[in-house]
Amino acid sequence: MHIQNRFVVKVSGASGQGINSVGETISKAIKETGLHSFGYREYPSLIKGGFASFQIDFSDAPLVSSSAQCDILLVLSVGAFNAYYNSVAQGGTIIHSVIGLQLSDAQQQYIAEKELKVVFVPAQQLVKEAGGHPLMVNTFLLGVLWQLLGLAFEPLIEVLKRTFAKKPDVIEPNVTMLESGKAFQDEKLHAIELGFTPDQTIIDDLIISGNEALALGAVAAGVRAYYAYPMTPASSILGYLAAISHETGMFVKQIEDEISVAEMTVGSSFAGTRAMCGTSGGGFDLMSETVSLAGITETPFVCVLAQRPGPATGLPTWTNSGDLLLAIFAGHGEFSRVVLAASDPASAYTLTQVAHNLAEEYQVPVILLTEKQIAESHFQLKDLPENIEIKRGLVSEDKLDSLQKMDRYASTESGVSLRWLPGQCAPTFDANSDEHLGDGSLTEDAGPAKEIFEKRMRKQTAIKAVFPEPQLIGEETCDILFVGWGSAKLAVTDALIQYQKTGGTKKLSYLHYEYMFPLKTDRLQQLANTAQKVVFVENNGTGQLAKLIRMESGYEPNDILLKNDGRPFYITEILSYISGEEA
Amino acid sequence: MSCNTCTTKTVSLAEYASPNALTWCPGCGNFGIQVALKQALVANGITPHQAMLCFDIGCNGNGSDKIDGYRFHGLHGRILPLAAGISCANTQLTVVAEAGDGATFGEGVNHFVHSIRANFDMTFICHNNENYGLTKGQASATTREDVPMNSSPDGVSSTPIHPQRFALALGATFTARIFSGDILGMNRVFQAAIKHKGFAFVEVLQNCPTYNKATPHEWYQKRVYNVNDTDHDVSNRAAALAVSDDVNEKIATGIIYQDPNSVPFMSRDMVRKDAQTELINEVSHYDITQFTSRMR
Repeated sequence: MHIQNRFVVKVSGASGQGINSVGETISKAIKETGLHSFGYREYPSLIKGGFASFQIDFSDAPLVSSSAQCDILLVLSVGAFNAYYNSVAQGGTIIHSVIGLQLSDAQQQYIAEKELKVVFVPAQQLVKEAGGHPLMVNTFLLGVLWQLLGLAFEPLIEVLKRTFAKKPDVIEPNVTMLESGKAFQDEKLHAIELGFTPDQTIIDDLIISGNEALALGAVAAGVRAYYAYPMTPASSILGYLAAISHETGMFVKQIEDEISVAEMTVGSSFAGTRAMCGTSGGGFDLMSETVSLAGITETPFVCVLAQRPGPATGLPTWTNSGDLLLAIFAGHGEFSRVVLAASDPASAYTLTQVAHNLAEEYQVPVILLTEKQIAESHFQLKDLPENIEIKRGLVSEDKLDSLQKMDRYASTESGVSLRWLPGQCAPTFDANSDEHLGDGSLTEDAGPAKEIFEKRMRKQTAIKAVFPEPQLIGEETCDILFVGWGSAKLAVTDALIQYQKTGGTKKLSYLHYEYMFPLKTDRLQQLANTAQKVVFVENNGTGQLAKLIRMESGYEPNDILLKNDGRPFYITEILSYISGEEA
Repeated sequence: MSCNTCTTKTVSLAEYASPNALTWCPGCGNFGIQVALKQALVANGITPHQAMLCFDIGCNGNGSDKIDGYRFHGLHGRILPLAAGISCANTQLTVVAEAGDGATFGEGVNHFVHSIRANFDMTFICHNNENYGLTKGQASATTREDVPMNSSPDGVSSTPIHPQRFALALGATFTARIFSGDILGMNRVFQAAIKHKGFAFVEVLQNCPTYNKATPHEWYQKRVYNVNDTDHDVSNRAAALAVSDDVNEKIATGIIYQDPNSVPFMSRDMVRKDAQTELINEVSHYDITQFTSRMR
């Protein structure tokens, strides 16, 4: 299925061939041309070899999802050719630099059926003839691609200049290679009519990944300590925060394991700064006892859980939203908590700030979910949202005099007690992982144990009361109400816009959850009464949000669209589902 | 962080008193350790609200609400990274972490390794009574070979960890060993450990009257001597290794090793070493436009 008003280029090669750099360069140059793009990365869990790809869907309208297939495939290695040749859409083009490429029968058949053009560019040889360095093959191919796309070269040259700003001596040779690539001719290559209308007002847009936005959300929220153990797809939060730490002054430390990561985060939060940690499923499993500790000691704790497919090591570099129930149920015992789920850079930026406010105001663990698809994809947007006001929920300095030891964990109507910090000239207390009284003194008596347990659980009700209902995109009365969370939003919202643009007649709406727990279901149930059909869309294998909603409200959706192969939902899959409904 | 009125006033032992009754077995080494710790804090002029006492799970941790000061009673085996997180966020606090040999050399042994590497600024009191007391006398990583224990009736068949050798080999900047029957000695060592800039490891040879029949109070009393009364050079790591080696006949106690040039972690961290403020005083909005401008 080809999506109108959208063109798709996929760059692929061996890991270590610079696929990511080429993809980023294309994204930026497309933006500077006045178009919109969405960049999606696939790569294996190894450093050299294998195959990796960077797919850029672009258009003259905003977009946040990928197509299942591409129009042009730029291939740098045999492995990548074999992995991706059948991702090229009908009538598409494969440009490759693989010397002596042998096509299998199946490949020849696919190419013939889909009427693909396959063009060999002897890039290594041509670069050499043009006096370039072997590393400039990618730039040469970029020149070939740009000429084929019929796009202006100036923005591309500007991007290259900025990319190599720290190595000025390689700028000129790279520009020369770009020119050489531009001059490359093949009878099968004719400039494509994209038919897009560039918009010069967007050339200053941001191109940002979900993890960069999340990290900047932490900076904006006043997070002063970030702890992590490397784990994809959370690692780039650690990497980015460390890279800018001399400018932010943030204490960014890689720790020996995820248990220590969680403990240091609790320790620093308890001391009174804003601390955060990030991990993926396996690391989060190790943290779960500490989540429970934060629960009983009522210490703010914010953890980013960047999902990838499990169980165990699973598909380490692929995407999935299969840890919702893990986040909600992690940790032994019963205690109040918050689970939030980002879906794009804007929500990652905002929810990181919200997470810290909730953690501090309600003194609970907050788990912020993201996914590889959000964390590492390249989004184009005007700007990040406005900051959220910092709310710390601490006793003000002038009130310290009036505190009593018993205030720290005193039973209150909301369940939230006064919080002050070690070192403050005030009554001291014990943050006790044993069940305790108001000042933290240990108790095993039934009455006080019941009282403080109920106090802690009341916070869940208080949080639910201030939580927003899920966000409705579209009209209340509709033929199909899609319901989703996380990255499902990206493909569904793109598909709904596309469906409308292409004259679809059904009324389609989307209800998006980002405040996952404590869960609100009133809005959903009310909308379900007016929708003809309610369809859940989740990038996991068992429909975890649907399960949670059933558990909390008894509500059953009419249908559920699941995906659990490590790949994100493509816009095409949602459109196919809609056309299936129309058939 | 600390208020000026408190830093100048005299601290008394009574300020560390708690109304809660102690629950340790009669004759437990913990009584003396707690007294010596209070004495050391007072001697160093640290008020309860400047003290951050962090307790692991075990018999010693049951004392977390029987002493004053700001306290955190955490998870089994995990007190070191929790205390490190506190210490990094507010270097003005006097952070003391306490854990047993079970937690330190069993479940939490990796934390011990990395806390020493990092040289986090805290005192770590390891209550080494050579068994898991609170769970009724199972073998720990420091239980002597062939000693029958609750979980190992035929005797432990693994080699015990030697805490001093272990810590010294890892490059600890301060190690000490002291006997729980020697309150004056503990007081002196705790004072020095609290003053040390970096990770101060204090191993307390603690008697356990209920479960450790192999090395009771009297056993230690006959064997310990104060190595700081000898010509032992505490700044010499090789000498420290040699002098602390014997744990059977003539057992050296006191400060075993101290690096006079120790630099604590937050003074080693390239981003934070010259910071004029604590992490806890820096929470506010930070402008991100300088970063987003690079993404345009």
